[in-house]
Amino acid sequence: MRRTTAWICVLACALAFASGCAEVKPWERETLARRDMAWDPDPLASQFRSHIHWSKEGSLPGGEAGGGGCGCN
Amino acid sequence: MSQSRSVRRAARRRSRRAEIEADRRGRAGAPGARPGSTLAALTSSALAFSGIAGSAAADAPTDRYSSDYSFSYYKEDSLPSSKVAPGSPTSRYEIETHQFQMTAPIFDRMDMNVNVLYESMSGATPWFVEEGADGKPVQVMSGATVSEKRTDAKLSTSYYFDRAKLTGSSGFSIENDYASFGGGLAAETHFNEKRTTLGGALGFSIDYLDPTDSNSEYPTRPNSADKQSVSVMASLSQILARGTAIQSSATYQYQTGYLSDPYKLVSVEGANVADSRPDERNQFTWLTRLRHRVEAMNASVHLDYRFYTDDWKLTSHTAELAWYQTFFTNFRLIPSLRYYSQSQADFYDTWFDIAPADGYASSDYRLSPYGAISWRIQAEYGMQGWPGTMDWVLSFAWERYLSDGDFALGKVSVENPGLVNWNLFSVRFSASF
Repeated sequence: MRRTTAWICVLACALAFASGCAEVKPWERETLARRDMAWDPDPLASQFRSHIHWSKEGSLPGGEAGGGGCGCN
Repeated sequence: MSQSRSVRRAARRRSRRAEIEADRRGRAGAPGARPGSTLAALTSSALAFSGIAGSAAADAPTDRYSSDYSFSYYKEDSLPSSKVAPGSPTSRYEIETHQFQMTAPIFDRMDMNVNVLYESMSGATPWFVEEGADGKPVQVMSGATVSEKRTDAKLSTSYYFDRAKLTGSSGFSIENDYASFGGGLAAETHFNEKRTTLGGALGFSIDYLDPTDSNSEYPTRPNSADKQSVSVMASLSQILARGTAIQSSATYQYQTGYLSDPYKLVSVEGANVADSRPDERNQFTWLTRLRHRVEAMNASVHLDYRFYTDDWKLTSHTAELAWYQTFFTNFRLIPSLRYYSQSQADFYDTWFDIAPADGYASSDYRLSPYGAISWRIQAEYGMQGWPGTMDWVLSFAWERYLSDGDFALGKVSVENPGLVNWNLFSVRFSASF
């Protein structure tokens, strides 16, 4: 079941990347330059929420490497 | 430094800033250009700061100083009396956190970021699980109230090549009974006219534990312990359309050393013994993020999905949806929903009637099967070019988190009595100048 779930995720991502890759010139990217379009518009909030979830749940946040631990209980 | 060298350096700096501005704002006249009149400055949006195109353009260091301060108050719900052993405290943890971050240009092709966190933690924590009068598991909380301070600091520096960026970082986290030191190196490059960004990172951490009261009163606690971890991450980002982009990343982490919780016990054959977990853990996370602009509604939508699995047999799914609605240019409302579901670790149970053959056992709720639903609302107001050349944003947020065995994707036959619900309130002020 876990392997099936993983392959479904791979296929979904591959399809998303492969489809709709329109040619967007650099001067057409003002929309993408908006802060509300950023991967992380509020780094302090996402850092703190990620820390809470990592402390109180059993999973790794992902999206980064490194970062130390804490004695959070 | 000779005058000719300083003149050439100043010229390169002016040229670099012109490239950065053109790259971020597009051609002259595009939205977001700094307005001339005071009225226009007061009504233009400070909320439209650098987004994906800014981050996808890996060859552009920041040209402004920016700082952020945030205060957060985290409070866990008290446990219901039906889930707590008689005589045990029901109140749980609360944390007050101060965060500060500053980003600054330092040379032509370099910028740096400093991030500092200071928090005060207090309250009772889950200690062990025992069988209640009705045969159902109940939580025994630690009798002593924890009171700790934690300081966390991180410094990172980025160097920008023409088509790539390299970032080095180091940091530490120190509290009464725990110290962690770590560092990392990250790189990203873009191609395909900056529509595609490939990233990678390596990281490590060395942690030292010095549990309190590890004496005859609590003989199961080690006097000292340590653990180490290394991690590697790879990511791929792609601009799909003028208002759509997607990013997918895979992270692997290896941990070794003392991975148990020194402050927790587990009931094995009727006796409370030390929480005992394997001394190695291999973890894998796959995170995919989608950003899409809904121009007709002056809004943006964020959709994140994370898949996690490890060799402790714990698997989880996380999905988060956020809607960024802008009103009257300067005001934004951001409602969001998050769903989380995890399976249990293979050495987890509420208690063990027969001692496990490998000696590993834990009744920690964080290794139990459950699901969690949370909702969050954030409101922010920002201005650009006032006062002076400063852009700023003031933000307030509230999040409510609920966890329950019934929320899990799979069937949970026995829910851990220590599952936690919490509230998080935060206020943030960000400015760039």
